[in-house]
Amino acid sequence: MDSIVLIKQVPDTTEVQLDPKTGNLIREGLKSIINPDDAHALEAALTLKDRFGGKVTALSMGPMQAIDVITEALGMGADAGVLLTDRAFAGADTWATSFTLARAIQQVGSWDLVFCGRQAIDGDTAQIGPQVADWLGIPQAAYVFAIESVNPKHITVKRRLEDGYERLQCRLPALITVIGEMNTPRFPRVDRLLAGCREKAPIRVFNAADIGVKTREVGLEGSLTHVIKTFAPKFKREGKILEGGKESVVRELIQRLKASEGATACRAFASACEL
Amino acid sequence: MIVWVEKDLCDGCRRCLKACPYGAIEIKEGKAEILDRCTACGACLEVCKAKAIFSDAEPKKIPDFSDHTGVWVFAEQRNGRLNRVCLELLGKARELGEALDQEVCAVLLGSRVSDLSQTLIRYGADKVYLVQHKALTHYRTIPYADAVEALVKIHKPNIFLLGASHLGRDLAPRISRRVGCGLTADCTELSIDPEEKILLQTRPAFGGNVMATIANRYSRPQMATVRPGVMVAVPTPDKKGAVVRHPFQITESRIGVKVLETVREKKTGSDLAEAKVIVAGGRGVGDAQGFQILRELADVMGGEVAGTRVAVEEGWIPPENQVGQTGKSVRPEIYIACGVSGAIQHRAGMMHSRYIIAVNKDPRAPIFQVADWGIVGDLHEIVPEMIRQLQASSG
Amino acid sequence: MIRSNPEHLIRDSMARFVDKEVIPQAQQIDASGEFPMELFRKVGEMGVFGIRYPRNKGGSGGNTTLYCIIHEELARGLMSLAAVSAMQCLMGTNFLFHFGTQEMHENFFLPAMKGEKIPCFCLTEPEAGSDLGAVTTLAQRTKDGFVINGMKTWVTNGPIADFYTVLCQTDPAKKLRGLNFFFVPRETPGVSVSQPFETLGTRTTRMSEVAFTNVHIPFEFMLGREGEGVSNLMSILSEIRAMTAALAIGLLRASMADAIQYAKERMAFGRPIGRYQLIQAKIANMATELEAARLLTYRATKMIDDKTPCLKEATMAKYFATEAACKAADEATRIFGAYGYSMEYTVQRYYRDSRFLLYGGGTHEVLQTNIARWAGL
Repeated sequence: MDSIVLIKQVPDTTEVQLDPKTGNLIREGLKSIINPDDAHALEAALTLKDRFGGKVTALSMGPMQAIDVITEALGMGADAGVLLTDRAFAGADTWATSFTLARAIQQVGSWDLVFCGRQAIDGDTAQIGPQVADWLGIPQAAYVFAIESVNPKHITVKRRLEDGYERLQCRLPALITVIGEMNTPRFPRVDRLLAGCREKAPIRVFNAADIGVKTREVGLEGSLTHVIKTFAPKFKREGKILEGGKESVVRELIQRLKASEGATACRAFASACEL
Repeated sequence: MIVWVEKDLCDGCRRCLKACPYGAIEIKEGKAEILDRCTACGACLEVCKAKAIFSDAEPKKIPDFSDHTGVWVFAEQRNGRLNRVCLELLGKARELGEALDQEVCAVLLGSRVSDLSQTLIRYGADKVYLVQHKALTHYRTIPYADAVEALVKIHKPNIFLLGASHLGRDLAPRISRRVGCGLTADCTELSIDPEEKILLQTRPAFGGNVMATIANRYSRPQMATVRPGVMVAVPTPDKKGAVVRHPFQITESRIGVKVLETVREKKTGSDLAEAKVIVAGGRGVGDAQGFQILRELADVMGGEVAGTRVAVEEGWIPPENQVGQTGKSVRPEIYIACGVSGAIQHRAGMMHSRYIIAVNKDPRAPIFQVADWGIVGDLHEIVPEMIRQLQASSG
Repeated sequence: MIRSNPEHLIRDSMARFVDKEVIPQAQQIDASGEFPMELFRKVGEMGVFGIRYPRNKGGSGGNTTLYCIIHEELARGLMSLAAVSAMQCLMGTNFLFHFGTQEMHENFFLPAMKGEKIPCFCLTEPEAGSDLGAVTTLAQRTKDGFVINGMKTWVTNGPIADFYTVLCQTDPAKKLRGLNFFFVPRETPGVSVSQPFETLGTRTTRMSEVAFTNVHIPFEFMLGREGEGVSNLMSILSEIRAMTAALAIGLLRASMADAIQYAKERMAFGRPIGRYQLIQAKIANMATELEAARLLTYRATKMIDDKTPCLKEATMAKYFATEAACKAADEATRIFGAYGYSMEYTVQRYYRDSRFLLYGGGTHEVLQTNIARWAGL
């Protein structure tokens, strides 16, 4: 059972800040990590390899520094790594990213499964997995938290729904997107990390020409959507003491909560899902 | 798009060879030759002194999309019940449709779901595209994507909105890829740019620390998934609308996926780090019994219960639910502090919450300084009242 | 060729391990006083213990710089875990690795690399610490091997170790030249271990006395050529001191990080205490001494990796970094005010654990004497 795992390097923080002057992200001082859901995807592929054998290849697209997530994947037990790096890839939306990744996957060779995390913490789109699956023309199982069985033709998984789960049998080859509930990623071994830093480490680095794409099809130029502005959400404590009788203060509180951006978090207002 | 060399003009100076980032140029018999590896990046054009290299590239232009019209909403249903988010989207779609003077359409897939068409019309759809087939009974990615793709390609909508539910976020990327249009995920704000008449899609990124507004100028439909609970459903009881049925064919062998079983279950176990709502108690809760009502409030709101160090030391809640400097740091959307004085030790663990609500008898409690809304009063009276009103409002 | 920088990569990787696995439990482990076997095993599974040894001989293929980086990070989380791991990598296994038989390599060294067997190093005696000439534990040559008699103390891991590397005198007349290292498995008859000591800091590290009474061992258990015990010890002394300096840097960083966080949050007279200059001065000193300690320490580790003699540099690093760490832990408890006195907060642990660093690798009184001599006094 050979797998390809898509991993993304993301800033390790939930406290990203914007430069008040330029509106750009302040990236200095931020550590980079494997996107958490992707680490779970990698763990899922490695667990499968531990049980059934096969080869795990970690694939990442990013700047040259993204080599670190590839090396880390080797440290965790991946057999090979591929880094897609090219200035032409920069600024891609999910359309251009999924196209580039799919072309690279086709370049890597034979595989039965593509694993990826449900979503990345810097973008939260959850679009790459299904889009890559569609470029490759294979079925997908999204939000997977357990693999029940695998045979040469099928994989049976449990995938999370809002109010429970679904047991799904999926034809191979297939793409699986993994959620954090699935496993606890192992820590990399230092000996494997060091081996991954050596020149003869099993890492390939591809640019646009290596995967046979035109620069206009990828990156910012190949993208269909564009960010036209970014801004910090307004975030100021209201500091308001509500006054009145018990019933009226609670009513006022609930009204304010309902009108706030926090309303979606509360089950009582929001996801009374179905009619 | 290609790049080529006019051999007569080329003087074999090799500048292009050095400029090419991809090693895609060779000199053969004194002339430059472009290899298959060429990515048409254009680096060689800029350095060629002899002007011997040409490209048929043109600047990217915004195509004419005047034949794309209509604001579409995907009507998500499971087991014959509509997901509320699609009615919310219809409310927004009406607003967008009016701004553009275009009709609002719903796309309804399933088997034996035609009854739902009327609901969609009563919430704002001018037209319902209905596709019914046995293979569409339970959601599966490929048949749903096939059916929607066909509709989009025939009717060419201008805007297409889906709920950012599990289903919507599974399906929308497939459709976007098939149709060749951009897709913005999990939007919380949509509007029409008054000049360009394009859809402005605003969404949080980096876990909500940054908001980004995204436009989709180069493809249609302008497609977005929208976070449930953000838009407002607007009933239009007397509205009339048309139901347009579409035929659909598919074979099981194309689908590749079987749903073996669907299991409903309540999520168990608490995870403060993931919780969107946290109801926390401190010394003022008084006893373990007191935490029972906090638990009830948390259940109604779909959240978790936490406590201060005192609450843990008293044994009212387990240690893993302690929030503060010596406990966990949390940042939910809503943090309700009940009977919590708000000592620095506790505030350190919760002050990054999006909204903080404080209920405390002591009006001078420091917790009120970090709260968005405070209620001065006895939590044993206020919390049950909150439960009562919330239950009443969610019906 | 695009490749990761091993030092950054290993540091980040260990830092994540420490942040996720060690720090959340550190207080509770320290309070329990129990040896953190589970965490120790996890460190072993990551291949840390082989960091100084080559890959083709069961190691992880690193060097002294990486060894020190790893243990700096571990010390930032929990000093007693870092100390035990550092011992596993260096003093506990070094002589076995270089001088042990193939059988010892397979039955003891390789399991130690995985954390399945725990080694320890028996040097100090009740009457002999830095003064090696005073070592009295005697290994007497017999016709089929050696018989060891004597007593070692302050044996880190003594109570839980599976085997010992013991410094013994084989011929008191030869003084330092009579000192040699011996390999002694725990189950050898005549080995007895005292109750663990009650200690001020590193409370989960088990330290005890180990007594050897007519312990018979074969000839091949002598580690290294006869008479070279002291020179073999000297060959790792720089490394021991550099490592101790790295542990101190880890502790300094932990003290400073917690002090900064507290100074930002704690309000006094209407503003965070970090806005007051006296608090700023404390933090500024910590930050500056941290940088200086880093420069001294990692210069020494680079020299060790380059096989350049650097006992002076390593000694200065150990002395300076440890003093800086002790000072930082002290200042951190002051920044915390009365909370610095509370067992609930971390800084009291840093304060207690900082004292552990004063003795390992030589007391500062001895080190200062050496440094003064090297300075030309």
